[in-house]
Amino acid sequence: MDLMLSADQEAIQQTVRSFLEKELPMARVRALADAGPEAIEPVWRAAGELGFFGLGVSDAQGGVGYAITEEMVLFEELGRALAPGPWLGTVLAAHALARQTGAELAAARQRILAGELHVALVERSGAPTLHVANGRVSGERANVAGANGAGALLILDDAGIAFVPCKPGAVTIEARPSMDPTRTIAHLTLRDAPCAILASDRETAAAVGREATVLACAEAVGGIQRTVEMSVEYSKVRHQFGKPIGSFQAVKHRCADMAMRAEAARSAMTYAVVSVRDGAADAAFQAAVAKILCANAYLQNAADNVQNHGGMGFTWECDAHLYVKRARSFELTLGSRQRQLDFIVEQFRAA
Amino acid sequence: MEITFSPAEEEFRKRARDWIEANKPSDPPPENYLPARREFDLAWQRRMFDAGWAGISWPKEFAGRGASLMEQLIWYEEFARAKAHEPATLFVGLNHGGPTLIACGSEAQKAFHLPKILRGETVWCQGFSEPGAGSDLAGLQARAVIDGDALVVSGQKIWTSFAQIAEYQELLVRTDPDAPKHKGITWVICPMNAKGIEIRPIRTMAGHQDFCEVFYDEVRVPRANIVGNINDGWRVAMSTLSFERGTAFLSEQVRLARVVDELVDLARVTPYGDAAARAKMALDDDEIARRLAQARAEVEALRSMTYRSVSRTARTGMPSAEGSLIRLFFSELQQRVYALAMDILGAAILEWDIEDRVVEGAGGPRHQRMRETWVFRYLLSFASTIAAGSKDIQRNIIGDRILGLPR
Repeated sequence: MDLMLSADQEAIQQTVRSFLEKELPMARVRALADAGPEAIEPVWRAAGELGFFGLGVSDAQGGVGYAITEEMVLFEELGRALAPGPWLGTVLAAHALARQTGAELAAARQRILAGELHVALVERSGAPTLHVANGRVSGERANVAGANGAGALLILDDAGIAFVPCKPGAVTIEARPSMDPTRTIAHLTLRDAPCAILASDRETAAAVGREATVLACAEAVGGIQRTVEMSVEYSKVRHQFGKPIGSFQAVKHRCADMAMRAEAARSAMTYAVVSVRDGAADAAFQAAVAKILCANAYLQNAADNVQNHGGMGFTWECDAHLYVKRARSFELTLGSRQRQLDFIVEQFRAA
Repeated sequence: MEITFSPAEEEFRKRARDWIEANKPSDPPPENYLPARREFDLAWQRRMFDAGWAGISWPKEFAGRGASLMEQLIWYEEFARAKAHEPATLFVGLNHGGPTLIACGSEAQKAFHLPKILRGETVWCQGFSEPGAGSDLAGLQARAVIDGDALVVSGQKIWTSFAQIAEYQELLVRTDPDAPKHKGITWVICPMNAKGIEIRPIRTMAGHQDFCEVFYDEVRVPRANIVGNINDGWRVAMSTLSFERGTAFLSEQVRLARVVDELVDLARVTPYGDAAARAKMALDDDEIARRLAQARAEVEALRSMTYRSVSRTARTGMPSAEGSLIRLFFSELQQRVYALAMDILGAAILEWDIEDRVVEGAGGPRHQRMRETWVFRYLLSFASTIAAGSKDIQRNIIGDRILGLPR
């Protein structure tokens, strides 16, 4: 039993944090939100050179040979920085393709690991109007995160997983205005798009769904932690009535609650990640617990962080709103809180 | 990162489980008559001692189990799993007084008191809070002056659980009224049979009378009973409280998960809603069911927080202020859980007796123990954000010591 970071994990954390501070400081994240999807490509190639996309892929497959517990560290840092781009779909595609044979898929895997191929995760939330038959997929899907600029799609449905290269004519990606500025969305239309079926059984699809959920939770924990840091930093330097506002219990206690929620979310997420890595019998339950705790913590902390920043917190200039918006989009990703609660309710009622 | 226990720890778990199952008291404790409850707890403690399980966290040097943090965690998990009786009247001796003597006591104090606490021969109580010194503990006013080989104590303490049945008290007194408030306090072992002590039980909002006011009228306590140095009692007391924030609360954190399981079972069999629609059970109601799911998720997160805290302490060797994060989360969660019980039971909570009584049930009449009722446990849960540092004090600790916010 040990839920603290290992020395290797701490080293990864330092490497990723330094990289993101240099390549994706908040000013750059904001600029990227207004630029085209190609603007992020140099950052992704640099991340690829550092091995970020292959942390959980074996050495033999061109990866670094760690596991999802190390990817957890990467995603927490990405969430802290609000790093844009389809990291989740890309890392999951690297996992899924590592289990495949065939020259074409191997080439796609190499491009992913090099940071050259961006893969958007097309998950089940929203209407399931995609149809797969005879190696081709057709249909539409709304609100797909990070698809704008993606070279491929990873479709994750209850019954299986498909990998779809974005071929002009077969895959139409229409960018839509996004409520969350640091996370683009697009409307997808697929017309007989050729795809590789990576799995066609519920067990594998569910396992990948659990990986997706816990890594999204790790990303959320990074954002949750950042809201605590922002509030603490600001309430030390902002003075009113001749004192730093952090000395007032009204503000101090709100910060304490934020720290408590962050610790609860981090603990639930960490336990869930290790459960998923180990294939524990209750991994699906632990993933649901992590999603519920992380969504609650992110939404409440992001709101408290705006409040702690007062009038500044209400401005576009202050970063606080970016975390509110990311908290909302996270809550709706990979099964809302209500869907996670209903999953636990089903277990109660079935018993 | 690992969520599994080592083979040696699993072996420990099996031994703990087997022993607790075979030896836990089968009779319910006589909760409403304190002298009987004292004997019950002491007998249970003696049984644990004889089998080598007493003082799970105490060093072997003092005849404790000397268990590792992981083993302590496992022990508490198994204790909760078996629903074994917690000897609550011995909490102060085992988790406050004893550990404080281990950390700061003289050789004579350790040799005399530690075996009695561990073997289940003495009950200890706490004399910290006063009517004017609650959250501001260092503002305490009970005075003690040196007179020959004795300290002469006058003043009042409050919220002293089990004072009526205790032999000894860990008592904080002001020995230097002119020093800054943290510097003039002394930690002393007070024999509860000393002349000049008067005990008045206080009835709580839950109707029971476990705790008391204690009055001291020129009570003579031997100077040899001072623990640590005179006027150094604040440091001695903090060693106890940091211990409390370490592992002493593991047990009730682990037990809360069991309470939620019980609550789901309750919702399964409790009719819910309007009398006209009585076919429905509480668990069929989506709002109740989702609140139960939320509670289930939160006790699971509490367990993960506990595991993380134990992992951290195992690495650093000492409990940290982070314990306050868990304490705050736990205390508020416990209140949400028992409030949910009230919502599930609905009008069935309205008829409630503060005495044990015989109730009619599906299987015929049965003896209903007041302390096992959901109403009692709900009312008792109001204490969890007040006792052992109110939730406001916990938030101050988090703000000041963890986040480094200005005071």
